[in-house]
Amino acid sequence: METSTIRSKLYILIVVYFGVQAALITPQAFAASASSREYQVKAAFLYNFIQFTEWPAAKIADNNNAISIGIIGDDPFGAAFDPVKEKSVKNKKMVIKRFGRFTELIKGANEDKSKSAENTEALRKCHVLFVCDSEKENLSKIIEIVKDSAVLTVGQSENFLDDGGIIRFIKEAEKVAFEVNIIAAKEAGVQVSSQVLRLAKRVITEETADDKNK
Amino acid sequence: MQLMKDHTQNSSYMGGLGKVGENISLIGVTIMFAQKGSLTRKCVWLFVLLYLLFGARAFAQQDSSVRKDLFQMSLEELTEVNVVSASRQEQKISEISVPISIITAEDIHYSGLTSIPEILQFEPGVDVLRTSRFRYAVGIRGLHDVISDKTLVLINGRSTYSSVYGGAEWFRLPLFPEDIERIEIVRGPSGASWGANAFNGVINIITKNPDDVLGYFGSTTITEFGDSFTHLRWAEKKDKWSWRSSLGYEDQKSSDEAGAGDYKSSVPSMNALIGFDTYSAQDFSRNLITDNEFVYQPSDWTKLSLGVGHSNKTSGNFETGGLFPSNHRCYETTRLFSRIDRKFEDGSSGSLQWFGNLERSGLGDQLSYHNFENDFEGQLNFAPIGNHHILIGGNVRLIRINSKSPTAESYKFEGEPFDEQLVGIFGIDRWKITDRFTIEGQLRGDWYSETQTDWSGRLTGLYALDDNKDHILRFSAAKAFRSPMAAIRNVTVERFAIGPDLYLMNVVKSSHELENEETWSLEAGYTGKLAKGLTLQLDGYYQHYDNLIGIKTGPDPLGLGRFFISVENIADAEAWGGECELAYENKRGKLSAWYSYNDFRTEKSHQDIRAYQPAKHKAGLTGRLFLPDNWAFNVNYKFTDTTPGNPNGGDDIGSSHRLDLTISKKIAKGRGELMLGVSDILVKTRESVLDLGAYTAHETPGRMFFARLQLKF
Repeated sequence: METSTIRSKLYILIVVYFGVQAALITPQAFAASASSREYQVKAAFLYNFIQFTEWPAAKIADNNNAISIGIIGDDPFGAAFDPVKEKSVKNKKMVIKRFGRFTELIKGANEDKSKSAENTEALRKCHVLFVCDSEKENLSKIIEIVKDSAVLTVGQSENFLDDGGIIRFIKEAEKVAFEVNIIAAKEAGVQVSSQVLRLAKRVITEETADDKNK
Repeated sequence: MQLMKDHTQNSSYMGGLGKVGENISLIGVTIMFAQKGSLTRKCVWLFVLLYLLFGARAFAQQDSSVRKDLFQMSLEELTEVNVVSASRQEQKISEISVPISIITAEDIHYSGLTSIPEILQFEPGVDVLRTSRFRYAVGIRGLHDVISDKTLVLINGRSTYSSVYGGAEWFRLPLFPEDIERIEIVRGPSGASWGANAFNGVINIITKNPDDVLGYFGSTTITEFGDSFTHLRWAEKKDKWSWRSSLGYEDQKSSDEAGAGDYKSSVPSMNALIGFDTYSAQDFSRNLITDNEFVYQPSDWTKLSLGVGHSNKTSGNFETGGLFPSNHRCYETTRLFSRIDRKFEDGSSGSLQWFGNLERSGLGDQLSYHNFENDFEGQLNFAPIGNHHILIGGNVRLIRINSKSPTAESYKFEGEPFDEQLVGIFGIDRWKITDRFTIEGQLRGDWYSETQTDWSGRLTGLYALDDNKDHILRFSAAKAFRSPMAAIRNVTVERFAIGPDLYLMNVVKSSHELENEETWSLEAGYTGKLAKGLTLQLDGYYQHYDNLIGIKTGPDPLGLGRFFISVENIADAEAWGGECELAYENKRGKLSAWYSYNDFRTEKSHQDIRAYQPAKHKAGLTGRLFLPDNWAFNVNYKFTDTTPGNPNGGDDIGSSHRLDLTISKKIAKGRGELMLGVSDILVKTRESVLDLGAYTAHETPGRMFFARLQLKF
């Protein structure tokens, strides 16, 4: 076979391969099992927050001997929790619950009122609820549902703490840091250890909230 | 290649397709190089085939042992983990094999400064001189000039240097200070990682990811002289796409309008000939800038980035070699890039990138040129092999320079247009011999179509004095080179006809081919965490330079007193010194103090090196305090010792103190900020600094009050 023929066949193969490659770079092609280093670190933070948070005794007792981390929205963690999913924390089994998008939760609930109660109850039963970026427009509704249920709410959107969230992840110089809203924690009925507060970049307390409002 | 083949393990559909793609790529490479064809075409196809090789990889789970380690860390340890790779590899600052300082986004924000060289001067070992309101000579450990080619400047790892002059033209970079995440300043020869130009150091400017600046942002700064700097930014994230788009305009008045601008001549006997009495500081500038980045991340394993930045600058003219043309100068710069980052199932990762720089410069009646660079590069970080972390990569750069000399008194490039090619390959191995002792070796080879092939290297030993690795000792030996760029090799110029075919100043080509400048260094350093928030960094070095290129003045063959100059490899030089920095930071603020000693001696007296020598003693202080009620106070101070003048007649630049103060307050529930500040409060006007090739220089304004308003939502 002549060289020019080999070359033209090679070019055709390359074009076809590029096309296949482009088609493969689609959101559906990749499982939720992948996770970035940033979210692996955040997963480790959530695991640590559990160790340094106190819930009301009734909440701890009423949860099938498990501590649950709920994730509402487009889950960025992927397989980040895999190393600890069979482990215990505070002598209880750790469970991860993925709720999907809030609008999907409510959409199903609108068609079936018992479903609505079931979904909101499931949110309230979580010990930790991570609110993904995709839910920032529904953040206040989510907080409203869980605010009296001793749920440690964690998120990272710009106004997360102002809207009643308890811990907000931030990124500083390529490292993960966090801020804490003690007022929201008190209202929710959870107690965040001083060891967490010591490492927070910002802590909103009643004094700092008063200064801001002056 | 063999290592990459061994790592293909997945037997799924993706893995099967991967094997086919890999084989196609390997066959393609063989056939391509066996064929005749232009080097340009071969290089383009090599890039495509390398992309296929990367694309042949499947996606899968990351090594779970890495994730498990994170869950065993304490909260405090987790706050120290880097989540994004810095420069070529992800490393903690204390474990980096070169002396490095970091300017953070917070440092930039609270300085209130709108110019990057102004921000850089407050770092240890960085020499900055201002020659006009927008022109700066910047160098690490000296060797600075406006077009100095000894310090490599990068934006996100992509070169910014002028392919004509070899230095970075700071004033034309399409960049906004509030879009910068951090600036990494590497001191010492770093050619093994980055190639030529990283002779004395590297300045790498890392911009913010779109994800980190979502929303709308606006900033405007106004100074007492009527300058304005406005920056508008929009960043958004939708599904797998995110983008950051910045647009801005700078309007800077001339030194005359700002109350400075007195001219000084270094050749008073020629003042009448060059028309000195007509000179005025026309260093105004107006610059329209845009910088945009688009990211598509279909999964956490693949990331595609595209970017385009453009700046269109008009400025007043300035004197060079006695010529002060009447037309304004204009500079257009366009920077483009396309990049793919991938992680593989075995824990390895890699990237492929293309970037293009297009520059058009109209320098009044002196010269107009446009140059176009294409750079293709790739890098592969292998998964750990035993205790080795290996990284390989390479790049191909294609350069075209096209110039026009409008008048007989213009600069000319002999033999233009130029087409030049550069090819470099490098390898880095980080070998963890014990838990406390690591050796890192870097080696790089560069081939240049127009000059000599050369190599760079660095060997570093890192030893942790404690199990927590809070105290690290570092010992290094390094070698780098600098290849003479087009302007040095090919330029000729004739100035000021004083008779038929008789010119006052003549730049003639060197009598022999210019050789690469070489440097090697021995370094030692210590980085330590003394207490929570308190760090100490100490660095010392000895550096030797061979074959430094300088300007030689020759006799007038007709004895008429004209200047005949040529660019030659003149002689050697050596330098030694060190930097130390003590920094303390907590939630309330930051306090850091540093001192640097940079001595430099040329082999011959009055030896020209085309740059300034470093100021021997420099010291600096930065303080920041976050006050109640969302107030913040920031102070930057720097002392610079005398900078030796040009050995062939230039005056020394006297020692100086610089003090900047800002006070700011958050407003509108934290969505806005108002800042009032004063830069260089101690000095009303700064003394003149002579550019390379200039006979005259003028003062620039010192003390400047400014106000800044920022809003984001």
